Formats: sequence, C-alpha cells, structure tokens
Amino acid sequence: MIEDSITIINRLGLHARAAAKLVNTASGFRSDVRLSRGSREANAKSIMGVMMLAAAKDTELLLAVEGPDEREAFEAISALIRDRFGEDE
Amino acid sequence: MTIYISGIGLSRGIALGDAHVLDRLQPDVSETRLPEGRVDDEVARYKAALRSAQEQLHSVLEQIPRGTPQDIREFIDTHLLMLNDAPIAEAPVKLIREHRVNAEWALKQERDALVEVFDAMDDPYLKTRRDDVDHVVKRVLTALAQHESGTEQPEPPSLEGRVIIADDLAAADVAQFQRAGVAGLITEFGGPMSHSAILARSFRLPAVAGVHHARQLLREHDALVLDGERGVVLSEPDSRIREHYEKRLRRERRYFSGLGKLKGRRAVTRDGTRVRLQANIERPEDMDLVREAGATGIGLFRTEFLFMNRAKPPGEEEQYEAYVSVLEGMRGKPVTIRTLDLGADKQVDGGRDTEGTVATNPALGLRAIRLCLREQSLFRTQLRALLRASTHGRVRIMVPMLTIAREVFQVRHLVRALMRELKQEGHKPAEEVPVGGMIEVPAAAVSAPLFAKYLDFLSIGTNDLIQYTLAIDRVDDTVGYLYDPLHPSMLKLLQMILEGGRRQDKPVAMCGEMAGDLQYTRLLLGLGLRELSMHPGNLLEVKRVVTGTDLTELPPFIRRIQRTTNPGSLRAVLREMNE
Repeated sequence: MIEDSITIINRLGLHARAAAKLVNTASGFRSDVRLSRGSREANAKSIMGVMMLAAAKDTELLLAVEGPDEREAFEAISALIRDRFGEDE
Repeated sequence: MTIYISGIGLSRGIALGDAHVLDRLQPDVSETRLPEGRVDDEVARYKAALRSAQEQLHSVLEQIPRGTPQDIREFIDTHLLMLNDAPIAEAPVKLIREHRVNAEWALKQERDALVEVFDAMDDPYLKTRRDDVDHVVKRVLTALAQHESGTEQPEPPSLEGRVIIADDLAAADVAQFQRAGVAGLITEFGGPMSHSAILARSFRLPAVAGVHHARQLLREHDALVLDGERGVVLSEPDSRIREHYEKRLRRERRYFSGLGKLKGRRAVTRDGTRVRLQANIERPEDMDLVREAGATGIGLFRTEFLFMNRAKPPGEEEQYEAYVSVLEGMRGKPVTIRTLDLGADKQVDGGRDTEGTVATNPALGLRAIRLCLREQSLFRTQLRALLRASTHGRVRIMVPMLTIAREVFQVRHLVRALMRELKQEGHKPAEEVPVGGMIEVPAAAVSAPLFAKYLDFLSIGTNDLIQYTLAIDRVDDTVGYLYDPLHPSMLKLLQMILEGGRRQDKPVAMCGEMAGDLQYTRLLLGLGLRELSMHPGNLLEVKRVVTGTDLTELPPFIRRIQRTTNPGSLRAVLREMNE
C-alpha cells in the first residue's frame, strides 16, 4: 500500500467537476483508492464520497492506494491534484 | 386582451408558439407504504427511472453544439457519475426493500441526508454544490413520474413549436427542449450568465428570464410571442402585433442563415481595406459570445463588475485570475482592459465625497481615473494584477475619463514603478504594455493631439462624450430627447480626435454604443475609423455592413453630412449612404 498526504491547491477546491475528474482517474485503475480527511474517509471512485470530503483549497488529504497497479494509480492521482485538475488556477 | 410582460433577454430571437407550462420542478413527495408483493416492482420501477435519467443525459451530451464552453459538458458528465454512484443508485433501493416505501420517498430521504452534509460545509462554493445533488434527484423524480407503476402512461404531449414556461431550467433541460423542437423558453428565475442561458444562445433558442409569476400570468395553450433580445413576452397578441412579429421572425431566419458564413471571414471592405472589429465584455463569462462572434480582440474589458456588489474590493490575485482567464481565452489576440471606472452612475459607496457631502453632479465628480489617482492603493492593486497578467497574453491598459495630460504622466509613472517592483519580485511582465486612454471628456477631445502624443492609443467612448458635450444627464429621462450621436458638435469632435491620432501616428478606436450601431457603421468608416469595439452580439451584423461597403464611395456623403445643418436632412443623407 502507498500512503501519503496531499494538499488541494486549486482555487475552488474539490468541487463537483474536480471530483468527477478525480473519480474518473481513480476508476481507471484496479487498485482500491481511498481519500481521507480527519475521521472522514471516502472511496475515491465514488463522486458523492469525494464531494462529501468538503475539501476546499489548502485542505490536506491522505491518499491511500492498494492493489496491483498502486504505484501508477498513486502517481496519476497526485499529478491530477498537483495540476489543479487542469483548471487555470 | 394582449398581456405584455417584460423580463431579461437571455438569448436573442423571436419565437411564436403556444404556451406549455411546466409543473413545479421539485414535486412534493409523500410517503406510501407498499404491500409486501409490490416491493420488487417498486425496485424495478426505480431502476428503470435511473436508466431513463442516464439515457437522457447521454443524449444531451451528444447534442451539445461544438464551440460550447467545455464546462457545460463537464457538468453533465459529473451528473452522470452522480447518478451511477451508490448514494443515488443503491441506497434508495435498500430503503425501498427495508422499509417497504415508495421509490420517491426513498430517494427523498437519501437526498435530504446528502444535502444536510453539504449545508454543513464551511466553504461557500462547495456548499452550493448541493444544487448538483438536487439537479440529479429532480431528474430521477421526473423519470419516476413517467414510470408510474401499474398504469399505462399517456404519450407525453408533443412540444414541437411550443413556448416552455418554467420556474428555472438546468442546462440539460435546455438541451432536451431544443431537441424536442420547442420555439422558445420563459423562466421565472435565472440570469444571462447561467449555463442554461449560455447553452440557449449556442442553440440560438430564444429565451427570456426573470419573468416573475409567469406560471400564474400565462396559461397552457396561450398564444405567445417572445422577443429574446428585448426580454419581452406578449400573450394573446392581436393579429396586427402577430403579423409584425411573424415578419420579424422570417427576416431573422433569412438573416441568420447568412450571418453564420461571416464568422470566419475577415472584415475587409469591398475596396480591400481591413477593419478591426473587436468585442466589449464585462466579465470573463462573456468569452463564449466573443468566440461565437469571431472578434479579432477585446476592445474594452470593463473591470467594474469585479468591484461591484461587494463590501471589499477584490485583491490582486482575484483580479489577476480574471484578467488571465480572458487573455488565455483570446489566445494571443489583444485584450484592452479599462482600469476602474467607478463613480457617477456606478457607485461603490453611495456617492459621497470624502468630506461627507453629497456630490450633486457625480458624473462630473470624483470618478474613474480621478478616483484611482486619489485612492492609489486601489489603483496600484489593479495595475499590478494587469501587469502580472501581461505574461499570459497581449494586455493593453486603457485609462478612462482623461481630462488633463498630467493624469497620463501619473499613470505612466506608476506603471513604470510597478513594473520595476514586479521584476524585483521575480515576476515576468511583458516588456511592452501599451497604455492608452478613453477620449470621452470634450476637453480631451479638443486637445486630442496632446493626448495622442503621450498615449499609445486612443479609444472614443461615445456615451460619455455625448453626455458631456450635450450636457445631458444619461439617467434623466426628461432630457433624453437631446441625446443625438449625430449632433454637429459630435461629428466635429470625432474628426478632431481622429485628426489628433493621425498627426501622432497613433491608432484611434471607438468603443461606445455608436460603434455597434449598424446605422452609423458607414459614417464611422467614412470619417476614418478602422477599429470598432462593440457588444459581441452586434459584431457579425457590423461585419456584414463592412464587407458590403466600398470606402471610395463614401467621401461625397461625408461632405454632405458635414455641410448639413438640418438634423432631418442629415438623417436622410445617412439613410442614402446606408442603402
């Protein structure tokens, strides 16, 4: 399992469309992908779960990936977050 | 009896058709206990409704026209994901089985639980995403109504040619109505920048919003006329009004079938002279209109909207983001950004001057560049944001309401100082950021050569220039009759400004109302203007006039106009020139 903390840096945070991109990325892998914020944990393949994390800009999340393609999945998801979900800022 | 209702025009165009009034969007859901044997049927009904909702969204996605902003598509994608996710796709099924309740009630319970979580969020933007939950839930509820258990549903009425009346519409609804062949849309709520409005414009589907109580005032099958440009709805028009609008509708159809072809064409006159047609915008969201019109640049980006309706002015970052989003949208084409033009009719804080007395003539008071030079921290923040944004495209800074040359020197000085400051901080602003000015005060028009000497470009703001020259308050209806862009004084001032630009070899543009008014296009070309900036909605029409004009034919008309002293005959010459 790979686990590390990652900070949301896009201006609008994990809003609906950003959450959709995250879910679409996570769903492309076989590994189990989980995101947690404090005591709240979500399956990163569930859009409602991801939106419910209420992760605004500067929120620190814990990303945990486990499965056959965990390295690739972890890389892809953290790259998406670092890239601000492709948003301008 | 004809009823006349006015609202906000969302999407231009004329529509004539029978009214179809939609029921309340969020139906009241009541709880029904199911007998044991009905539970499986109810689950099947819920799943069938989910499938219909998914199919609807898939076909909406296929239908969205090319050139529509990507985020509309992404929103619909998001809603599809939500439909497939456990809280919507699975949790209600469990509730139906465990509590033996109807599907609507089960979905409502799940919806309330989700909304509660959103309502408890701190972040104001994330909080509003409960709307996404409601959109999705509403779609499933509507589909459930069509899968009413046991009873055969009658075929839904055809919406072809009807005018839809609703309280509010989602973008996906607009797409579905478009496919059903409706003639137009009327909503009680909603504004011109909503996704539904943007999509309605992409479809060229006439729409009017802000028609309060439309669903009480208008009835099913009322004969309606809708004017999406002026935001007007007429119910049960008499035959004369009807004929008038039918004629306009026919003209409009002919017109649009020709306009589309102009989008990719360059604005060149018949004798081969290139004219720059640029767009005026108020906010980054206006960019979809600009793309649709094929503008060669932004000739006026009014920045006031960033500052209005809020307690504190926006910071440097927020402004920077707004400017960059427009610059990136224009992909290297010039973007002329006007510095803050607050004061006068657009007040920040009630029109008091600093001593606390009420200014009796705010239009002549502390506004625009006068205010900016006095409130330097406000101005510095904006200039810093503008200069930083210049890394991302061709920024041109435009200063409003210049009256004396010293204002230009002060702005230039400030720009140079901030440029150094930004470079020291490690920013990389563009090497050359042109600084131009609005010529809208008669004093500046008369001394145009002076301003042309110290500025990189001039732009004529006709609205204020007319108000100041003719001494008429733009907000006072009782003197509105004096408003005349063709007053001889105006023609003289325009010539003086153009002459000033020519002498200093600096470009002169026009960005006021007059620039987008078809009846003046040839006059302005004849006077020597080659750069016009207007509301993007007028651009293709002006382009049509430009491409149909031969500049070599204009001088005799211009001479006649300049000699004419009688306003009536002046209009006659103008009409003759426009033929």
